Amino acid sequence: MLRLLGYLLMNGVATSKDYCPSLGDEAIGLPKLASNNCIGSECSKCSDICPTEAISVLDGGPNANLELDLGKCIGCAMCIRICPEKTFSSNASTETAAVNRKSLVLSTKALDIQAVNDIEGARSPFARSVACRVVSTGCSACDLELSAASNSIFDMERFGIQIVASPRFADVLLVTGPVPKAMHAALKSCYDAMAEPKRVVAVGTCAISGGLHGSGYAEANGISDLLPVDVYIPGCPPHPWSIIDGIRKVMR
Amino acid sequence: MNIDIIPIEAELRQDALLSWLNQPGKRLGLITSNDGGQIVTLLLDTADSAATIWESQMSDCKYSSLTPRITQAHWMERTMWDMFGLEPTHHPRLKHNLLHEPYEEKFYPLRKENDVVARSGHRQYHSLKVKGDGIYEIPVGPIHAGIIEPGHFHFSCVGEIIFNLEIRLGYVHRGIEKKLSEMNWQKQRFLVEAAASDSAAAYALAHAVALESCIDLVVPEKAQHLRSLALEIERVAMHIGDLAGLAADVGFLAISSSLGRLRGASLGLADLVSGNRFLKGFICPGGVIQDPDGNLSKLKAKAKNLQKELEPVVRYFLTNQVVLDRMENIGKVSERLAKDFGLVGVAGRASNQMYDVRHHFSAGVYPLLKPAIVLEKEGDVFCRAKVRANELVDSLAFIDMLLETMPCGSHSTNMPDALRANAVGLGIVEAHRGELIHLVFTDEQGNCKRYAIKDPSVNNWTGLAIAARNNLVSDFPLCNKSFSLSYSGHDL
Repeated sequence: MLRLLGYLLMNGVATSKDYCPSLGDEAIGLPKLASNNCIGSECSKCSDICPTEAISVLDGGPNANLELDLGKCIGCAMCIRICPEKTFSSNASTETAAVNRKSLVLSTKALDIQAVNDIEGARSPFARSVACRVVSTGCSACDLELSAASNSIFDMERFGIQIVASPRFADVLLVTGPVPKAMHAALKSCYDAMAEPKRVVAVGTCAISGGLHGSGYAEANGISDLLPVDVYIPGCPPHPWSIIDGIRKVMR
Repeated sequence: MNIDIIPIEAELRQDALLSWLNQPGKRLGLITSNDGGQIVTLLLDTADSAATIWESQMSDCKYSSLTPRITQAHWMERTMWDMFGLEPTHHPRLKHNLLHEPYEEKFYPLRKENDVVARSGHRQYHSLKVKGDGIYEIPVGPIHAGIIEPGHFHFSCVGEIIFNLEIRLGYVHRGIEKKLSEMNWQKQRFLVEAAASDSAAAYALAHAVALESCIDLVVPEKAQHLRSLALEIERVAMHIGDLAGLAADVGFLAISSSLGRLRGASLGLADLVSGNRFLKGFICPGGVIQDPDGNLSKLKAKAKNLQKELEPVVRYFLTNQVVLDRMENIGKVSERLAKDFGLVGVAGRASNQMYDVRHHFSAGVYPLLKPAIVLEKEGDVFCRAKVRANELVDSLAFIDMLLETMPCGSHSTNMPDALRANAVGLGIVEAHRGELIHLVFTDEQGNCKRYAIKDPSVNNWTGLAIAARNNLVSDFPLCNKSFSLSYSGHDL
């Protein structure tokens, strides 16, 4: 036991001192759009290769308006690899969450996630701390990243974010996965069991739009038709920092 | 791999399969169907690395169940009933497995012609009723207290002892197999990876190998090295995570948080290879998507460092007296039951099942370089932890060896636009949980007409139900964690 204590002391503090640092050079992350040198529908290689139809070329010809819906994007980076004009590049930022579904749709005419991120009106009732309930309905990647967000590196409890074991204690419902038909009733009853005021956060692309799983017989189309969503965290899965940043958006 | 397809009458399968399974090294891979008009039985010969398919044409939608004599068939027969409407008669506990009450009675998503008359009450689920004095029931789920996937556990208990555990799954059924058979192969790999993302590299590899075996494509040596590297990194990350979970469940927080930190380091290795913490998008049919050459020396140093830091933590964990008290003789699965239920991977090897796909179906680099098979005999929680710990050491040494022997050359080769017509492709991979099978059939145009996936968890969920019996309710989380099974991989 003493040796273990020695080991722990030797290894020092693992917790990151920065808040939401950028991703490392090798990491790909979500795509972002560069200034408009897109040649439009003459090419449309990006929209053809995208596995989730997240990219649409709106009008043809040079300087076409390209739209990229991060709420559908799984970060496969195929658009970055294939675009001959370098319109796509990888976004190293981990502050990617949005409070508005529309602001996840990037366009070559408005490059960044728009500044509609602040919740208008009253201050959030959860300014200092939130208790979160997780309902997992997907492939476990987002769950693993959520668990990672509470490990000693990210340590989200220092920001006042706590995971609780019952919806009765929870302020925030975190939903991962595309919510297939068999989970609709369970998710609803979990939400109903939470006391007001309450917020819902869609963690990951599947929860936002169904991602790769949408429009099948299992009706795994994400949570937007089932619950009111307050914060959207895109990514497949989102980085633990993006998750922390997203949950902090309901605290502002 | 050359796969023989042998026609056999459905009713003759039982005796033939029994005599097959009685021979050493022979296994049952998968029982499924293409479109409900036949039963496809995949047989594996681990001694010769060979696979055979028995195809039984069906004129009716009923057949006599294999389960009364071949217990490991029970789960697959239930799935086949849900997906194809093929009903096994005399199945001892026939109930649906994937499609619950929200689905219509007469809905069989993979059946071509929906000509089946549904048995009334098909969708209603009845848990096994245990009767007797003092028996009470604990239902848990589908939503669990922690951050894990959904599933329903139904415990029948006497006092603090679990008498029977019934596991009901299907809550994350997303219809992936159907989607895969409707899309072109170029985009399949993304959906395959999203089927069970904690095994993304293994799924992508099985997919790539299955498609390549349809067209007899051999990928460059370098691609094979990089693929094995990705697979071993995934194994390291998940084994560390599972050991951390076990440590948390016995309340040894110093170990669980140290291992949690080291899991982060192993995800850093994945980032260096693929740009993604889960290795998503890296392995593709034809090879790998990018050559991480520039990062390999950094990767080697980091992997060495991880190996050095991991060793004392695992040693402190597995030699601690309290840990031994909690884990030894808990959640036992005997060698005989492990064989009968066809357990695979860590759970199988902890019960003395000599089966590791890297040895027995060695593809890619594994015929030349392969880690040793780690075996334990007792089949308890501690053995499963020890198998993980030893495999972790082996995998890290193996990663080092792969980097040492990394060949030069191209990291991928071109795939043709269309697959071969009327072909069969098989990909078998040792994922971190065990044997993962992807089976692909193409149609006359070379499009994929059926894509079947067998996750290692399909075999092992029954193992958990067996392990939990006669243990304390409070030891169930340990049993569960020691198996560490996938819900999404099972449900697809």
